[in-house]
Amino acid sequence: MRVLRNIFRRKLRAFLTIFGITIGVFALVVMGAMAEKLDLLVQGGVKYYSDKVQVNAATSVLGLASEPLTMDRLREIKAVPGARAAFPAIGMLYDEELPTMSMGNVATIQGEAHGARRYESFKIGIAEGRDLVASDRGVVVLGNDLAKKQQAKVGTVLEIRDRDFEVVGIWERTLTSPDNAAAVALADAQEMYKETLPDALQAGVTARNLATSFVVYPEAGTDPDNLAKAIRRRVGGIEAVGPKEFEEQVVSQLSVFTSIIFGIGAISLLVGGLSVVNTMTMSVAERTREIGIRKAIGASDGHIMRQFIAESAVIGLLGGIGGLALGYLVATGLNAAGEASGNVLFLVTPGLAVGSVAFALILGVVSGLYPAWYAARLNPVQALRYE
Amino acid sequence: MSDVVVSVRDLHKSYLLGRDNYVRALRGASLDVMKGEMAAIMGPSGSGKSTLMHVVGCLDSADAGEVWLDGRRVDGLRGRALTRVRSREIGFVFQGFNLIPTLTALENVALAAEYAGASRAEATKRAQAQLELVGLGDRMRHAPGELSGGQQQRVAIARALVNSPALVLGDEPTGDLDTATSEEVVRTLREVNAETRTTFVLVTHNPEVAQACDRVIRMRDGVVEDHGGSPAGVVSGEAAAGEGGADG
Repeated sequence: MRVLRNIFRRKLRAFLTIFGITIGVFALVVMGAMAEKLDLLVQGGVKYYSDKVQVNAATSVLGLASEPLTMDRLREIKAVPGARAAFPAIGMLYDEELPTMSMGNVATIQGEAHGARRYESFKIGIAEGRDLVASDRGVVVLGNDLAKKQQAKVGTVLEIRDRDFEVVGIWERTLTSPDNAAAVALADAQEMYKETLPDALQAGVTARNLATSFVVYPEAGTDPDNLAKAIRRRVGGIEAVGPKEFEEQVVSQLSVFTSIIFGIGAISLLVGGLSVVNTMTMSVAERTREIGIRKAIGASDGHIMRQFIAESAVIGLLGGIGGLALGYLVATGLNAAGEASGNVLFLVTPGLAVGSVAFALILGVVSGLYPAWYAARLNPVQALRYE
Repeated sequence: MSDVVVSVRDLHKSYLLGRDNYVRALRGASLDVMKGEMAAIMGPSGSGKSTLMHVVGCLDSADAGEVWLDGRRVDGLRGRALTRVRSREIGFVFQGFNLIPTLTALENVALAAEYAGASRAEATKRAQAQLELVGLGDRMRHAPGELSGGQQQRVAIARALVNSPALVLGDEPTGDLDTATSEEVVRTLREVNAETRTTFVLVTHNPEVAQACDRVIRMRDGVVEDHGGSPAGVVSGEAAAGEGGADG
């Protein structure tokens, strides 16, 4: 408590310095929470793709808005040794245009062939209603966030891409992409997809022959990455991605993003750290005579050094706790506000919370090192003469 | 064991005060102080009395000469050893405003004991006893800003005594105080000296303070000019400087 009394000798200055750290930690917590949330989404994706091969047209971008694949390709893929089963799927944007603000939470329409689910290891529970069955047409099962965003319940009729769909079920929350998906029968999705194609293309194709991707399940004992390679070798005009390749692509993109996010947070903290150095240096200068007195009454260099480092560490710690509290409040508040629209962007993990406060504490200690060392080395006689 | 607490022999000290301003503060000062004595050091500004006090108080080191403190030679000590002697064997009372403003009277006194290695509980206990000795038993929880100048100086005296030092040094202990308060402080010093037999050496300009002391040592131009009589049997003038130590 003596440490606190010393820090708050200059109340405004102490407050401003602590506030500087608070802003830095706040930035780190909020941006870090965004990165953590994104990481969770990607982890879900990595898990989802862990046991299968995803086949897209060679020109596809993120599995969306690609050139159509056709069913003859599917027959070729099924013939590749090691492929146990292959299914067509349609993936397209829920809205006709890409929303301007997107954080990996873009709503999609998923049309999948009935029967594919049997091979799937990524199970999604039903929160409400029922799942799709083979005979379904004109019905939709919604991901949890999308249902909230559309304010839809079982029985609601939604207009999706100018068609009416009755909501028959809502999935449980997965914390990854299915939360923002609308699952419809493949045939419905194929028709909707056909309408998005340029007129010239539309004339030459039948809806039932279209897919944006194929999902290929390997036979037991076949490595999905090897199967992806085999498919690429034997079937032309497509891109086949195994789980490892998927993970490498996505994780490397994510790590760049994460580094940028943490970098920004760390820079703002560093600025806060410099203000701690400034404050402590001024504090040492103002208390030169006091340091002389402390030395005269028996303080060792170590005593003086520890005293100032403790003050600086407490400034860092207080700023860190303040920043964490503020960041947690803002992240939780924005999540609550965004939940209605399905935009849950932040995840404050215990690691992030402990890490950011610890970082602020260490920053405080490091910022205090030079001023404390300077104070400890003051010549007592000169310090006593100082007025 | 002799009764001499402080023995200074032929002490020299020069320092640079800014560029090209070389000050020869001590030019062969010698001095003895007896146990239980209360001595004043007087002299004009620049006579070397503050420098002598700093060297004897282990705040500064001399260029040449010897300093013996309670039978132990201390002029060669550096770093930790010097800090240790300073914290356990020496007490300081400075001119005005020398308490830590953020600590209470009790904490100020206890701090010196903590620096000397006492636990906080032990330091607090000893600090209470010292504050009662100087008559501030009812003011212990007050911050320095809530105490009068005389009370603050009595807290400083209690702080100087808390480690039962061999020697308490005062640098103008009544410097910023009015006459009445100055008398209060001198009275306290005399009472403590009578009660604890603690040795005091007070650097002062104030003739009333000097008058209250057992002996007045006068300095001029970096040497002790007049030993003030009473314990002068130990050293008779500067001629004896450098011959033997405190036990001689």
